[in-house]
Amino acid sequence: MTISFAQIRDKVRAAETLSFEDGVALYQHPNLMELGALANEVRERLHGDRTYFNRNLHINATNVCEASCRFCSFARLQPGDPAAYTMTLEEAWGKLRARVAANDPITEIHIVNGLHPGLAFDYYTDLLAGLKRIQPSIHLKAFTAVEIFYFAKKFGMSIEEVLQALRAAGLDSLPGGGAEIFAPRVRKKICDDKSDADEWLEVHRVAHRMGLRSNCTMLYGHIETAEERVDHMLRLRALQDETGGFQTFIPLAFHPDNNALMKLPGPTGVEDLRTYATARLLLHNIPHLKAYWIMLGIKTAQTALWFGADDLDGTVQEERIYHMAGAATPQVMHPTEIIRLIQNAGRTPVERDTLYNVVAEGAALIPDKPFRRDVRRSLEVVS
Amino acid sequence: MSVEARGLPTPELTDESPDSLTTLDLFALGRQASAARDRQLGRRGTFVRARQLLASGGWRGPRDAAESTVEDADLAAIGGLPALRAAGIDLLVAPVDSSHVRAAAEAGLRILLRVPYRLGEDERERLDRLAALDRAAYDVWGVMPEPVGEPYGLDTLRFFALSRLALPRVPHLLADVGALGPRLAQMAFGFGADELFAPIVSERALRLGANAHNPSLTRKEAATLIRGAGLAPCERFADGTIEEIPA
Repeated sequence: MTISFAQIRDKVRAAETLSFEDGVALYQHPNLMELGALANEVRERLHGDRTYFNRNLHINATNVCEASCRFCSFARLQPGDPAAYTMTLEEAWGKLRARVAANDPITEIHIVNGLHPGLAFDYYTDLLAGLKRIQPSIHLKAFTAVEIFYFAKKFGMSIEEVLQALRAAGLDSLPGGGAEIFAPRVRKKICDDKSDADEWLEVHRVAHRMGLRSNCTMLYGHIETAEERVDHMLRLRALQDETGGFQTFIPLAFHPDNNALMKLPGPTGVEDLRTYATARLLLHNIPHLKAYWIMLGIKTAQTALWFGADDLDGTVQEERIYHMAGAATPQVMHPTEIIRLIQNAGRTPVERDTLYNVVAEGAALIPDKPFRRDVRRSLEVVS
Repeated sequence: MSVEARGLPTPELTDESPDSLTTLDLFALGRQASAARDRQLGRRGTFVRARQLLASGGWRGPRDAAESTVEDADLAAIGGLPALRAAGIDLLVAPVDSSHVRAAAEAGLRILLRVPYRLGEDERERLDRLAALDRAAYDVWGVMPEPVGEPYGLDTLRFFALSRLALPRVPHLLADVGALGPRLAQMAFGFGADELFAPIVSERALRLGANAHNPSLTRKEAATLIRGAGLAPCERFADGTIEEIPA
């Protein structure tokens, strides 16, 4: 039976859950404006004009990685590779010390690394503990489910034991990376030697059970079909029904440069917007949808704010993974620029922390004078 | 050459007064602009293999190009308008304030105007500028929005839609891949654009290193972008015919 857009629109307006077939029909719907307008209805129902961003720092402590994902431009398989690097703990801590010294009131550090076969578990716990010593109030969103699963296997621990140890060292939440596309057909071709869909989902299930919040992602625009994208989103939605622990869904646009899939064209702008709009409509139970400007590009990310997205991520600083895949975006975006971008979109900027608590909004959002008293206090250098 | 003389349907003016366009949301504006394009040209997007006459007298682009163009800034070095006919130039690409366009139009060249827009401008101000262009005493074949500084996505798309709706006598609205990037250029088709402006090459090098921002597209890439935007991709040829690219 053919599903009409009007039927889907009625279901959305009645707050009914969309089916797999509805999701595929949305991907095939020829009228992007109609799709965008419906996704925008849901976005505005959930968040009005509010559009979130945060001040964060990325640390990619090592790019040495055992996995050989074909879409990845970041990983170097061997420690001796000229482009391979592993930060000493002092180097990694120095990234935060530099931000503190610059009076930059970041609220979050996002840490994602390669699967390094030679690092002890202590490296990771010491990394977190050291960052917390430097700035106790900083939120550490660290290690993808793929890394957590790797630690569990490598160090003979359960997922729960890994998460407990990392949490004791300072872990506050998990980023959403490593999900790629859950379909076994695709995973077999692009990332055969890392955790599979069930293992990825299990890590997040355990984390949510422990009270940790996390994000979730989907890498789109390579060899996957629309059906496989919808299947991916529905598996995330099912886990969210079970745990409620996901905060944000982040569609990640595939970048084809410098990797084994470089002959693929990558997603187009319309495909980006269609994916955002479809995600907003399918994932009714995940509150936020993030337009990750590093991968989408600033222009598309801003446009996505009218196609379902309500979050632009943050100032970022020092992102390496997608820039090595050819992302042409800057390494950092100043809050002034983010605020202007959001306001130019006719939206209301809200600075958030990782858990979507409001840090500043309205008159309190003074991008050129970023140091509010409470934040200044949290910037005391402890070590 | 007027719209009628080219055999195109006479444009149907929008019901909206220009001022009311500024109050429309993104989707309404996009829908109206696309509908205006569809009424005038059908649901198709075009591209053309063009070559450009350079100030040096040399050419950039394939020998067998369907269209020969020149940039207004290169006119003086080439020898002015009289030299263009001899060189077989079809299209003058010029800024809106060029002093050559009227004479060029009278000499039978088609005119493609680069229309600037910048961040932070009031939309009424933009509409005033477009209205002045609409009153031009010469035929404009096409306009091409040109960002001053780094363009924002939504700002660009709204300007495309306003351009389509405020310039009903200008048949073509071009999206410059070099200025906008392929993503935003493709999105512009949802806001009234009908042609991609990019070098069309037979084989494009990978976009790596110094080539990272190369705006050139293969025919297949151009067709994919247009088809992905929901339009029938068509190639335009020297004799004015267009041919749909099969999927």
